Amino acid sequence: MLTNHWKIAYRSLVKNKFFTTLNIVGLAAGLTCFLLIMLYVTNELRYDQYHENADRIYRINSDIVMGGTELNLAVASDPMGELLKKDYPEIEEYTRIYNSSGAKMIKKGSAFLNETNVAHVDSTYFDVFSAKAVAGDLKNALDEPNTVVLSRSMAEKYFGTTDVIGKNLETNENGSTLYKITGVMEDVPKQSHYRPDFLFAMENCGYKFGQILSHNFQTYLLLKKGTNPASLEAKFPGYIMRHVLPAAQQEMQIKSIEEFEQSGNKLQYSLTALTDIHLHSNRFPELAINGNIQYVYIFSAVALFILLIACINFMNLATARSANRAREVGIRKVLGSGKGALVKQFLTESTLLAYVSIGIALLSAVLLLPLFNELSGKQFILQDLFTSGLISIYLLLPLLVGLLAGTYPAFFLSSFHPLQVLKSKFSTGSSKAGLRSTLVVVQFVTSIILIVGTIIIYRQLNYIQTRNLGFNKDQVLVINNTYTLGTQKQGFRNEVMKLSGVTGSTYSGFMPVAESARNDRTFSTQAAMTSSSGLNMQIWGIDENYIPLLGMEMKYGRNFSKEFGTDSAAIIINETTAALMGLDNPVGKKLYAGNNGGATDPYTIIGVVKNFHFQSMKQQIGPVAFWLNPADWSIAFKVNTGQIKPLITRIEGVWNKMAPGMPFEYSFLDESFSRMYDAEQRVGQLALSFAILTILIACLGLFGLAAFMAEQRNKEIGVRKVLGASVQQIVSLLTRDFLKLVGIASIIAFPLAWYAMNKWLENFAFKTSLGWWVFLLAGCIAALIALVTVGGQAIKAAITNPIKSLRSE
Amino acid sequence: MIKLEHISKWVNQGNNRIFLLKDINLGIEEGEFVSIMGPSGSGKSTLLNVIGMLDTADEGSYQFYDQPVHTLKEKQRSQLYKQHIGFVFQAYHLIDELTVYENIETPLLYQDTKSSDRKALVADMLDRFNIVGKKDLFPAQLSGGQQQLVGIARALIAKPKLILADEPTGNLNSKQGEEIMDIFTQLNKEDGVTIIQVTHSEKNAAYSNRIIHLLDGRIEHNR
Repeated sequence: MLTNHWKIAYRSLVKNKFFTTLNIVGLAAGLTCFLLIMLYVTNELRYDQYHENADRIYRINSDIVMGGTELNLAVASDPMGELLKKDYPEIEEYTRIYNSSGAKMIKKGSAFLNETNVAHVDSTYFDVFSAKAVAGDLKNALDEPNTVVLSRSMAEKYFGTTDVIGKNLETNENGSTLYKITGVMEDVPKQSHYRPDFLFAMENCGYKFGQILSHNFQTYLLLKKGTNPASLEAKFPGYIMRHVLPAAQQEMQIKSIEEFEQSGNKLQYSLTALTDIHLHSNRFPELAINGNIQYVYIFSAVALFILLIACINFMNLATARSANRAREVGIRKVLGSGKGALVKQFLTESTLLAYVSIGIALLSAVLLLPLFNELSGKQFILQDLFTSGLISIYLLLPLLVGLLAGTYPAFFLSSFHPLQVLKSKFSTGSSKAGLRSTLVVVQFVTSIILIVGTIIIYRQLNYIQTRNLGFNKDQVLVINNTYTLGTQKQGFRNEVMKLSGVTGSTYSGFMPVAESARNDRTFSTQAAMTSSSGLNMQIWGIDENYIPLLGMEMKYGRNFSKEFGTDSAAIIINETTAALMGLDNPVGKKLYAGNNGGATDPYTIIGVVKNFHFQSMKQQIGPVAFWLNPADWSIAFKVNTGQIKPLITRIEGVWNKMAPGMPFEYSFLDESFSRMYDAEQRVGQLALSFAILTILIACLGLFGLAAFMAEQRNKEIGVRKVLGASVQQIVSLLTRDFLKLVGIASIIAFPLAWYAMNKWLENFAFKTSLGWWVFLLAGCIAALIALVTVGGQAIKAAITNPIKSLRSE
Repeated sequence: MIKLEHISKWVNQGNNRIFLLKDINLGIEEGEFVSIMGPSGSGKSTLLNVIGMLDTADEGSYQFYDQPVHTLKEKQRSQLYKQHIGFVFQAYHLIDELTVYENIETPLLYQDTKSSDRKALVADMLDRFNIVGKKDLFPAQLSGGQQQLVGIARALIAKPKLILADEPTGNLNSKQGEEIMDIFTQLNKEDGVTIIQVTHSEKNAAYSNRIIHLLDGRIEHNR
């Protein structure tokens, strides 16, 4: 019986090559997309779960509101971990990560290399986190100062072997510092929120410990089994009362927490589970670029939708073809087949198709993997597609899809009354056309939403790229690590300025792009710092060339100038700072910089620079001020040449002369700027791919339906032509119904798309508008695509000689 | 074997009730060869379908052997006809996707016959109709007469007591038609299979031993 099912399923599929191909292509496309997205989603969901104690590790977050600025930090103060452990017995252990500088120069042979995955950690690091040892005893590796643990690939990079215990690693801290290698660990798994390559002993980090008001350490707590993190969180206000308040009273004249909070300020600590950091944490500073749970949800929804659309296609084509299958059903019933046997037969057929489709889908997933890696920013390899979990999905999913897509057609077909179909008076019930239309509408609703989404994402990206930033990001070449030039800094600048094509230069580590350095400090509008006069803002050290080189404009006052000897006590603020001070033109007023211990140094405001974007456009422009204090760890050159590559080579030549052995690293300001929106670019590309894919699948279905419709109405078309209808009239007759469906789909899709994209745009402080024309355009695109898909079939039917279609009676 | 009493079937068209069958009383004994004749629209096929249990009457009683068919549920009726009745159609109604062999085998699949038995039965049938050489061909590769032979072989495979044939020679030329009618006669005489056929042709009707004339849903003659 089953072999009979397989046989007839196979032959029926082979016989109807056209529809079979449509079905398989549509389903395979949907499944490919589904597989790739599942790969991405499951990967995102499994971050940091390899840690033995993953469910007991929590990171401390600090939320601070001070003087009008809000800070959501992923770091805590240096004594906090120790104090908490002492106070609360439910904390088994704590460990801290300090990587404020974010990079170290490490010597290999005679040259230094710049390594960015470096951190100073407590000796308890390996008591909290899990790592596989390659060599050495990790648990005790960092007990002594001047020790380092490195990853396998770094050991191989620097020494060519992992047998390096006891050897020394040299960094350029204080000229030269030696670290004894006490452990080698396996490379940290990819699915980690942080993947350090070098872990240095905490004692060498050069930090002045004991600052309970400064938040600079990623602090992780290992809780004892059965501890409820929420009940620990509830005890944090007690910690603030006991330890933070006394220090704050001394430094900032804060009398009580109540008074602190009444003036609009806040200090609050909370916990984030280790396994939630990658997807749920969006704080500052994160140790690496995190994922976003929103995108995981969106992609999962898209994956399911595309699969659903592919299944709908399947149902549509199968029921549309029911006329051809009806006779077979009739005969089988007359021959004694029960309904159950027929249902089984059709389900066998759809399941067979689903298995063929997943085979093709798997193949395309393998072929598309490099492209998908580029789109998703992941590094999947072939083996990732063949884990035991996924293989069981490959075996079970087609069964599910086959049942899902096959059940309706199976019951629909098997319910035919044999007498009716054998009398061949059967026509594909127009009663079922309603359902088919509904399914087509669902497909087009999805397509239109994705088209609108794509257009708006690209519009927003375009808006970001073309918005007046308040500075000119073009033709600015930034060279990093200039502090390694030592005394040669001015010499290097002068040499490069002599090169043709270089028109300006400024020393500053602070660039108005996200990956640049930042420095915040609390200022006071009065000589004595109080909680109401405090103003937390960015304070950047620049030289007098900075503002003109970056094309910033002054609103009031003047730029720093060598002609004024007093500019070392001068400060330039931006418009936001002025607004926070409640002044339109504060030139001549004073700002006092807070010091540890509460003393304040006065600075005179000499100018107000027009607001410029120095963060992502997701954020409002915050308060920022400049002072004349060149932070000379990078230098920016304004370049003006079509021959940029040779110029860089020449600059590198100068560098190698003046800083031999030190790595030459450069970036372009406009590229750094674009990188701030990598995630959005990626979402845009993904939305575009998904939109194209859904449209493709929907079109396959529509194409099949149109072909079938034309075939069904063959005779009607013949009669109409004999009666004098023109080709044009016939085509419009056949396409009108489909266009109507697209119209209905548009009406349903527009409000949904508007809502979704409005939500997305809310992420941005600076955003494009949701023009009505976007929706009109999306509707027209969908209509046009439908028209092209259906039109070909319609024209083919319309130009057929009517005698042919009428003779077959 | 078959006993129809006061069988009526109708459709309502507005306020009018149009009778397809009106007050049919008919008895058919085992071993008979009956022809049903009448002009188009006289209810021949409807009557045949009611007898074949593919259709139900709106009124009256139908006794098949000792079973009151009119009171049975669809499933039970289906069980009954699949055991006892074989159908032959004017348009053959073979399954295009199956070979001759598989077409003949299909009714056995629905009766859960064992594989080895199926093989033997189908082989017998192929032998009997001299179509062994065609067993792997598909219906489209056969002539009309050959297709109808397969249709009859398929109807007979489950050893039915009753064959219902709706214009079995309607699509065939006269020579092919004669062959089919000879087979029917042989089946009737040698195997004792009861046959009821619907036909337009006096010539075919002459093969049977009773002819029922229908007009407007009523039995006009029954001889």
